[in-house]
Amino acid sequence: MRIRRNATLLAVLLVVSGCASISYTLVAPGTVNVGDLQVSAAQSWNKAPAGTTASRKDTQVWTRDGLLLDRLIMIPAVPDGEPVFRTNDKEAALPPFRADMLPNEIEELTESSITKLFGEGEASVETSNLRPQRFGDDRGVLFNMHIKVTDSPDYKGLAGAFIADGKLYLMMYIAADPYYFDKNLAEVETLIAGARRAPAAG
Amino acid sequence: MSFARLGFIAVTLAAASSLASAQAPQDVDHKIPPGYEPEQGPDEKGIWMEVEEYEKTVRQSALLVTDADINNYVDSIVCRVAGAYCQDFRVYAIRNPGFNASMTATGMMQVWTGLLLRTETTDEVAAVIGHEIAHYTRLHTLERLRRLKKNMAAGSILDFGIAVLTGVSAPVATATAMLNALAFSREQESEADFLGARLVAAAGYDPHAAYRVWENVIAEEKAAAVKRREPGIFSQTHPDSEQRAAELRQWINDTWGPPVDGATSRDEHLEMLNGHYLVLMEDQLDTNRFGRTEELLQRHRDMGIEPGLVEYFYGEMYRQRGEADDAALALAAYHKSVDSGTGPPEAHRNIGYLELKAGDAAGAQEHFRKYLELNPDATDRAMIEFYLEEEQ
Repeated sequence: MRIRRNATLLAVLLVVSGCASISYTLVAPGTVNVGDLQVSAAQSWNKAPAGTTASRKDTQVWTRDGLLLDRLIMIPAVPDGEPVFRTNDKEAALPPFRADMLPNEIEELTESSITKLFGEGEASVETSNLRPQRFGDDRGVLFNMHIKVTDSPDYKGLAGAFIADGKLYLMMYIAADPYYFDKNLAEVETLIAGARRAPAAG
Repeated sequence: MSFARLGFIAVTLAAASSLASAQAPQDVDHKIPPGYEPEQGPDEKGIWMEVEEYEKTVRQSALLVTDADINNYVDSIVCRVAGAYCQDFRVYAIRNPGFNASMTATGMMQVWTGLLLRTETTDEVAAVIGHEIAHYTRLHTLERLRRLKKNMAAGSILDFGIAVLTGVSAPVATATAMLNALAFSREQESEADFLGARLVAAAGYDPHAAYRVWENVIAEEKAAAVKRREPGIFSQTHPDSEQRAAELRQWINDTWGPPVDGATSRDEHLEMLNGHYLVLMEDQLDTNRFGRTEELLQRHRDMGIEPGLVEYFYGEMYRQRGEADDAALALAAYHKSVDSGTGPPEAHRNIGYLELKAGDAAGAQEHFRKYLELNPDATDRAMIEFYLEEEQ
């Protein structure tokens, strides 16, 4: 039974891998465009296949030591009325972004969305240290997260967010605590705080 | 959706046959004496080891409630209801806004904080615990496991043996097939209802709490904007909820007479909830399920939880829901919270944000200042000071 199921799983993986985007790709140091968000990577990262972390289109998820240990989620240009993650689960009740949200509401939106990401009832998310931050010409915020998960290590997070032209730009670094969060924190803080909208083409 | 755990693989199961019993469910008694240890049947070693491993992870879970008040409160109820069986149980309070309590065949009991939020008296908490203890002493969990095992190929049972044994299943998106597999039979549920009610009455609690708790959960389910096929004590795993509640109500009234006013005291339960309300309700709020939260708040208001706390969460619920008129409703609720003198400082902060949004900078400033005055160590001080300076 077990062998048969593993064989089925393998077959499914093989079929899916035929769709090309299953593998990780290397992100080299330098300026990187994530949709119309521009970030600067000081070192190389591994970009997860599209669709990881319940991603919206244009979302990129990067990791250094593997997704269970650390992940940098960059979500550009979420329009009014849409959630920051995408799911087909009609019962998930993901909170939508609203263009008139104030900093505290963006913090709450992130908190509730992350709770859903880990699985409702499976995680408790607390945010703290909400503070102002400029992202190029756009005013936004930074805040910290502490995520307690039922059967995993604790996670800590740093989030940066701003609203421009009525769209939300959200960057979240979530990593296991202790060790992994601190390991990349300085670099990620610079990357998130240095993010800005890409100059318009033409 | 969940990346913290892999979840369970749903397997379609043969429908489980219900167990025949000669005794009426009202008359059943414990099947096992205190101190009972289940014998391991053939081929079960791996499963029992997994249960022990599971208990280890629960013991180390980051969501385990560490607060002594809550743990002592729950422990004392379990011991009082369990009576001579008290030493057989290890009780874990878990931070989870869902309504659930569960028991393994080895005597590990979990009580979710969402259950504490959804009960109005200690008697109601005792009723749920009595129900779970009755499942244990009637060996239902063990029977359920063995019934399942009989119907399945040996290799697949480990995939969700844990869920069956613990009563705690995979996250929200769990497939219906698995929930069906988790269900106790209707007869087992009735046995646990009746024996549980007798246990709580014998322990000196009000037996009428046994159907009240279910009626409240049914009311919340009806108020929900988004219905869920949720694993839990009174949903998919507990069939025919309304009928069961009605039968239990009838039987309890026949056996102990009608409820007596003042038979139950809310003091102990209220004190526990008032002391931990902010943390417990934050978890509920993060579920983003406003219909349920609103129904819950109405009940909390009626049962006399500190108005400053309840009104604050009314404010939070309206503000985050964001429907037409919700901003005005939120503002009114926050003001009630502040005026009560017992609201958290955050009520001032959130009035400030709402007034900022409405274009009343001076009003916002007043409340932002008050917030920092009442909460000088606020971690969002930099954000609030930014607005105070900007609006100068």
